[in-house]
Amino acid sequence: MANAASGMAVADECKLRFLELKAKRTHRFIVYKIDEKKKMVVVERVGEPVLGYDDFAASLPANECRYAIFDYDFVTQENCQKSKIFFIAWSPDTARVRSKMIYASSKERFKRELDGIQVELQATDSAEVGLDVIQGRAN
Amino acid sequence: MYGGDEVSAIVIDVGSYSCKAGYAGDDTPKAVFPSVVGSIEQTEGTNDSKPEKEGDPAPDSKNGAKPMDVDKAKTKRKLYVGQELEFRRDHMEVISPMKDGTVTDWDIVDTIWNHAFRRRLLINPEEHPMLIAEPSTNTAQQREKAAELMFENYKVPALFLAKNAVLTSFASGRATSLVVDSGGGSTVVSAVHDGFVLQKSVATSPVGGEFLTDCMMKSLESKGVVIRPRYSFKKKEISPGEYKIVDLDLPNTTESYRLYCMRAIASDIKESVCRVPDTAFDEVAYANVPTTSYELPDGQTIEVGADRFKIPDILFNPALSQTIPGVDGFSDATPVRGLQRMVIDSVNRCDVDIRKELFSNILLSGGSSSILQLKERLEKEVLEESPQAARVKVMASGNSVERRFSVWIGGSILASLGSFQQMWFSKAEYEEHGVSYIQRKCP
Repeated sequence: MANAASGMAVADECKLRFLELKAKRTHRFIVYKIDEKKKMVVVERVGEPVLGYDDFAASLPANECRYAIFDYDFVTQENCQKSKIFFIAWSPDTARVRSKMIYASSKERFKRELDGIQVELQATDSAEVGLDVIQGRAN
Repeated sequence: MYGGDEVSAIVIDVGSYSCKAGYAGDDTPKAVFPSVVGSIEQTEGTNDSKPEKEGDPAPDSKNGAKPMDVDKAKTKRKLYVGQELEFRRDHMEVISPMKDGTVTDWDIVDTIWNHAFRRRLLINPEEHPMLIAEPSTNTAQQREKAAELMFENYKVPALFLAKNAVLTSFASGRATSLVVDSGGGSTVVSAVHDGFVLQKSVATSPVGGEFLTDCMMKSLESKGVVIRPRYSFKKKEISPGEYKIVDLDLPNTTESYRLYCMRAIASDIKESVCRVPDTAFDEVAYANVPTTSYELPDGQTIEVGADRFKIPDILFNPALSQTIPGVDGFSDATPVRGLQRMVIDSVNRCDVDIRKELFSNILLSGGSSSILQLKERLEKEVLEESPQAARVKVMASGNSVERRFSVWIGGSILASLGSFQQMWFSKAEYEEHGVSYIQRKCP
């Protein structure tokens, strides 16, 4: 347990949707948010497999923090179809301090619930979660 | 488990320079006061300060705040905290509970806590859970000592110890970052990964705001400037708008109090005129920079030239301080590194996999981070010494309040979360498992 963890719980749905994405590949991405009243992380949005990176990027709010899972499909230099599961901690600089604090202090616990994350990113502006960054980290 | 949502928690951060205390959920701390206290040794039986009091022109008898009596049989000293320090008293020494960023005198910390709770926040500590921010360098014994004091002396219902670096990192929205905390008494660089402080990465240096203040003071002195502490003179209006300065003779003022008052002025000079130079300071190149004027409390105006740039550059090149007459040398045992070196060394002591992420998430916080151009200069210096592939990014909150109080603000938000209530180390747990349980509850 990290020092100064928030104690935020994780809704079962978070895990279920993640398992669906991982095993059945029924989602392209999942966006999670923290519900302070319920004291837990909940699913905000799931994206269908036909959607692409741009739809994913558009679903991250400009002034609020989120967690997100993105299933990135790509072709390697050996012409091999591959995919990688990204975990993104989205914390824009313009978000309120309270929001940043809550998401950062709940992250470690939340991430542990999702077994199968391959790459992790922390992003504070849209450039840090750009397609080029994702491509670079996938290889 | 502690289930006390209804009373708000108290967040307290005792730094080497100032103590920040306030209610969880607030944006800024309610009380900010110096972390040093005035101390008068009490000799047994006779109260020898009495006869001198008659000849004492200092207005301490008019001062509304009654000194707090923490006179304990073993120490036999009277401690003065907060505003009480602003009044000069005969034989009062100014002492600090900290040395190199860690607590060495718990009695003083106790006095400071007590002052914060009972006189500034006006609360009963028995009713409020306490979140204490502690330096990354705290040892297990120090943490237990703090917990014991809180539960035994203050009978707090619940307690949490959070690490400074983690709070700063979280408050900026990052679970992984390199926190550069340049405070009053020291500068600490620590890597935080997923909410853990990587202990082996922690680098400290005694070069902080107070050291820079001392350098400023010594440098001005060497140029013939006399800084008169405010208590040492009276202003007399001889004709409307015209004042005459009358020096007061106060032979019983201690040297430490005189220094404390002079530092307060030198610190203000530093904050008003200094900025970090864009490149390493060079005595020749800066010989003819335009000067900035500053008016001292006694009315004399001084001109500050090259020192405006030289003093802040000491952060990057501590050896520069040795060119100022009267500044004490560093002890040879631990070589003092510049800020950029500390950052590089700290990152290099971390796992290779996270170095890149640390370089691109350097967070600047603490009081000294407010010096103009510090962020830009640090970024430039680190970029020069870092590996080619690394993307260096230094961040500091645009808001100076957030920068100065980032630790406290982080603690304030954390302690106000509904979900955090289960994380407290409660009194019941303390009674059942003993003080060492703090290491498990607040790792």
